[in-house]
Amino acid sequence: MNPAKESDVQQPTYAISEPVESPPDDQAAVSCRELTKQYGEVVAVDGVTFSLRRGTVTGFLGPNGAGKTTTLRLLLGLAEPTGGEALVFGHRYRELVEPIRRVGAVLESTDFHPSRSGRDHLRTLALGAGLPLSRVEEVLTQVGLGTAADRRVKTYSLGMRQRLGLAASLLGDPELLVLDEPANGLDPAGVHWLRGFLQTLAAQGRTVLISSHLLAEVAQTVDQILIIDHGRLLASGRLDDIAANGRTLEDVYLELTSGDES
Amino acid sequence: MIGTLRSELLKLRSTRTTLLLFVTMVALVALVVAMHVLAPSAASLATRSMQLRVFQVGSGIGMLFAGLVGAISITAELRYGTIRPTFLVSPRRGPVIAAKLVVGLLTGIIFGLLSQGIMAAAATAAFSARGVVNTLGTGDYVQILLGGAAAAPLWSAIGLGIGAVVRNQIGAIVGLCAWALLVESIVVGFVPSFGRFLPGASGLALAGLNDNGKLLGPAAGVLVLAGYAVITAAAGWAMTVRRDVA
Repeated sequence: MNPAKESDVQQPTYAISEPVESPPDDQAAVSCRELTKQYGEVVAVDGVTFSLRRGTVTGFLGPNGAGKTTTLRLLLGLAEPTGGEALVFGHRYRELVEPIRRVGAVLESTDFHPSRSGRDHLRTLALGAGLPLSRVEEVLTQVGLGTAADRRVKTYSLGMRQRLGLAASLLGDPELLVLDEPANGLDPAGVHWLRGFLQTLAAQGRTVLISSHLLAEVAQTVDQILIIDHGRLLASGRLDDIAANGRTLEDVYLELTSGDES
Repeated sequence: MIGTLRSELLKLRSTRTTLLLFVTMVALVALVVAMHVLAPSAASLATRSMQLRVFQVGSGIGMLFAGLVGAISITAELRYGTIRPTFLVSPRRGPVIAAKLVVGLLTGIIFGLLSQGIMAAAATAAFSARGVVNTLGTGDYVQILLGGAAAAPLWSAIGLGIGAVVRNQIGAIVGLCAWALLVESIVVGFVPSFGRFLPGASGLALAGLNDNGKLLGPAAGVLVLAGYAVITAAAGWAMTVRRDVA
């Protein structure tokens, strides 16, 4: 028997007592229905369905290549689904009138022109979004980049680049934040800063969807999780329910995704 | 749309790329004018066709660099990933390409006017220094300036279209340079009846160059070149709107 097949039929056994609910579309910050993305023979995202209530902080977990980033790109209108749909606030991202005022996102920590200053990077985005340039100064202060803002990005450390990306996502003071691996490459001080930052955002009542494979870090920050592998959603639910009965999030994660970490 | 336009203008101004391109263009124009003025004998330089040929080299450089500005405006975003935040801010991609086109056209006009102006001034001064009688009249100068200022922005649109289709920055830059500096002159040299319809040759025709009757007239030149600009820019637009962003 082919062991890969066995894991293919693994069903979401942890969609338990209180799963990530399916509120009416107009109340959901994010809703994906049978979301599918196929690249040739490869199915990167395979019939993923979930929806996130406003004000929740959700960890999006899975091994590298599980389909996390593809799901987020579909959600943000950067790629078109092969099937199903992904909506933010009940609309396709591309149909939002001023998306940057509702959704902020960081997809890669390297999306900067190396010879443009941090301040100018933010200004190009603020201008494109029709936001006042005063917002650029506000978010620079918010992420603590004020003094480095006029330096070219090529002189920034990875932690500073992560902060610049977060600053860009905050420009429109959005209700929903979508962050793809924001802790990648951060040193302990950076991770500490990021944790406090995310907790502040959550305390402000914003909806946060954060992909990561740092389980311990996620467990400290989120209140519900989604686990994805091979493009399929394997589990979804409140963190308290999933990591219950003496089992940790790591136990559940490793069981569901076993054999995939190479 | 105004915001998108201002954003694209700031993108152009906020890196050193544009300045670097401009300085390189000016240096190249000065170099080729010097070579073409100093190398030939005074007798051959006295003919009108030879004098016009001096201007031909410089016009091609202005067009090429305007094309590079257009190509880099999209390929730099793809190369460095800034296309992602750009499309998050402006998820309707058509206006982003339109803004890049407008900014590229404006930059092309400036590049065209300045490269042609520098070239005309340098050539005029060099003729005078070598004691060669300048046979070009005011009409020639006007056409060199205005024709060059019209051909360069059209090349910028072509560069944007090529860049959006090719997507690889190095590939687009090398392709445009090889085309403008090598391929076209070979084709025009060996098969002028076909070569004169190519974008470089029609651009030179627009700037008033004739190459002993091998090239199109300026009116036909502008039509052919505008056709290339529309087709390539439309192809780039269609690709950008449809393709997923990696």
